[in-house]
Amino acid sequence: MFPTPIHQRPIINQYIYKIFLPISLIIWLIPIFGILMTSIRGLGDITAGNMWGTPSEFLLFSNLYDVFTNTPMIKYTLNSFKVTIPTMLGAVALSCMTGFALARYKFKTNLIIFFIFIAGNFVPFQILMIPVRDLTFKVGLYNTITGLVLFHVAFQTGFCTLFMRNFIKALPQELIEAARMDGASEFKIFWKIILPLTRPAIAALCVLIFTFIWNDYFWATVLIQGDHAMPITAGLKSLNGQWITAYHLLSTGSIVAAIPPVIMFFLMQKHFIAGLTLGATKG
Amino acid sequence: MKKVIISLIMMFGIISSTSFAGTLVINTDTSDAAPKEAFEYIIKKFEEENPDVTVKWNVFDHEGYKQSIRNFLNTDPPDVANWYAGNRMLPFVRAGLFEDVSDIWKDSGWVDGNLSENMEHAKKSMTIGGKQWGIPYTYYQWGVYYRKDLFTANGISVPTTWDDFVAACATLKAAGITPITIGSKYLWTTAGVFDYLNLRTNGYEFHMDLTLGKVPYTDPKVQAVFDKWDELVKPGYFLENHAALSWQEALTPMVNGEAAMYVMGNFAVAPLKEAGLRDSNLGFFQFPEITPGIPMAEEAPTDTVHIPSKAKNKTDAKRFLIFMSRADVQEEINKILGQLPINKNSSVKKGDPFLAAGLNMLNNAYAMAQFYDRDAPAQMASEGMKGFQEYMSNPDRRQKILERLEKVRQRVYK
Repeated sequence: MFPTPIHQRPIINQYIYKIFLPISLIIWLIPIFGILMTSIRGLGDITAGNMWGTPSEFLLFSNLYDVFTNTPMIKYTLNSFKVTIPTMLGAVALSCMTGFALARYKFKTNLIIFFIFIAGNFVPFQILMIPVRDLTFKVGLYNTITGLVLFHVAFQTGFCTLFMRNFIKALPQELIEAARMDGASEFKIFWKIILPLTRPAIAALCVLIFTFIWNDYFWATVLIQGDHAMPITAGLKSLNGQWITAYHLLSTGSIVAAIPPVIMFFLMQKHFIAGLTLGATKG
Repeated sequence: MKKVIISLIMMFGIISSTSFAGTLVINTDTSDAAPKEAFEYIIKKFEEENPDVTVKWNVFDHEGYKQSIRNFLNTDPPDVANWYAGNRMLPFVRAGLFEDVSDIWKDSGWVDGNLSENMEHAKKSMTIGGKQWGIPYTYYQWGVYYRKDLFTANGISVPTTWDDFVAACATLKAAGITPITIGSKYLWTTAGVFDYLNLRTNGYEFHMDLTLGKVPYTDPKVQAVFDKWDELVKPGYFLENHAALSWQEALTPMVNGEAAMYVMGNFAVAPLKEAGLRDSNLGFFQFPEITPGIPMAEEAPTDTVHIPSKAKNKTDAKRFLIFMSRADVQEEINKILGQLPINKNSSVKKGDPFLAAGLNMLNNAYAMAQFYDRDAPAQMASEGMKGFQEYMSNPDRRQKILERLEKVRQRVYK
């Protein structure tokens, strides 16, 4: 088995592991701890250079109040949901169908189409910035939630298809053949046989896509200009004052923004971990 | 076919003109909380006073506005747009995109009292080619913010001449205090120092000539500015690791009593006070005189309102500009903004010594510079400020930096 479980390693390695695991864990968590601490502070502490010491005042609630009253944070959060949920549904629905087709039908260009889907994952998305912006502008979707959702769906479908195709490929062919013998139409096979069987994969994909899209900052800033459609990740910058970087409000806002994916993660933890490895088992 | 098109155009013309009668479209970049609140307030007040006018107000993102204004002035002009004074408005004035509003400035019948008189000190920064192109409604002062208690403890009184200023720095340095704090990570803070040194050494007219690209950076007068700067940089009177800090992070040494002065805008007061400084230990003074006899011009970035020359409803737009110039309106706007009104008859929030000092200084100023990155074109400003920062870290490279800036000047102002 690889990797070798730690308790089968030499005793010295086990000790090194036990010492360095907590250390690296702490180093890893320091930035998050810093954000939590900063969200409690007032601006005074920050200006006075008191970044890591005891906060002179406990201001978490007043910071939260400021975050929600000074800026359209509620609107941004709603926008984030409006972008994330349709994208999740769209990308997963499309990829179930493409995944099924690519896994189960033999046609000439099957492999090529599949490679095109995979290749999409290897395109650094920064390259697409200008063409995508121009495209959405020309079709009149620039600066709209619809535009952002459509792009996300298109871009995420590549990864989702890879994921679903491999999962469906691993299902026993006999099930489908049995259904065919009984005279089920191709759509019925997809709907009644394949979809129920892929439920774990769909759940895992939903969780993954939800977190991907929720955390997207790049495309939100490229395709959205106004408050009306700005998701929360990009909206955080409006917490800054005209002159001042309001680190305390930014930290509080970041925590607020991080809550939905964190909740999602804990609720669906099993699927999430399954999702990270699912697509990797069979090429 | 032609007839159809013509009648369509005419119909469109009628529809659009009727829909715009009594509608005043205002575009602003006031996306930050306080400026947004200020505009909410004045638009409401304007509509109350002018019931026949409905205002349609579009708020743009502060940064994005710099790009959008180029677009909308040409393609979809509002009736009023906010912008900045001085050379910042020069490209729009040159391209004929801003309306000449000299009549508002001249005609005392428009407003309560005489605009030209009440805003005389700001007129220069609104004038291009002998005409005025907009109305200023807010600005804030720059100068030296200092720790009163550190000055008292070291027996220093507020310096009014360059020699006093340098001597004060020397005393502070000897006492183990950083004389001047600065955070130059984002470059612009260095321009505040440069502007004041130039304004005091060579005067407002020379400073404007330089930022307009009429004078080479290798000019002996520019060298003289750097000679003065040398007197501060070479003995190490500025905060040591300034290139690693933002302006905000450079406040920390001042709060903790490790640094005594900061050449800054008035917006530094709010965070300093929030961090625990009080009127008793935080003070403000005008940047000291360098060349005796040169009239004292100040750095006062000014926000303005303009009428695009392609605006549809210029009549109401003018009413709005006149409204914005009124003493009572400017007073209210600036109470919300925490800044200074331009109209001399406006007063400021009582009990704020910094606003009072700023108001007094600017009302008596010879002229107003708008800050290096507003006075000089963007490309020149960014190279210039890079140069200033490099100079402050390595004063020995001065000659090379100035030669480089001169090359940039020749390229930018072609």
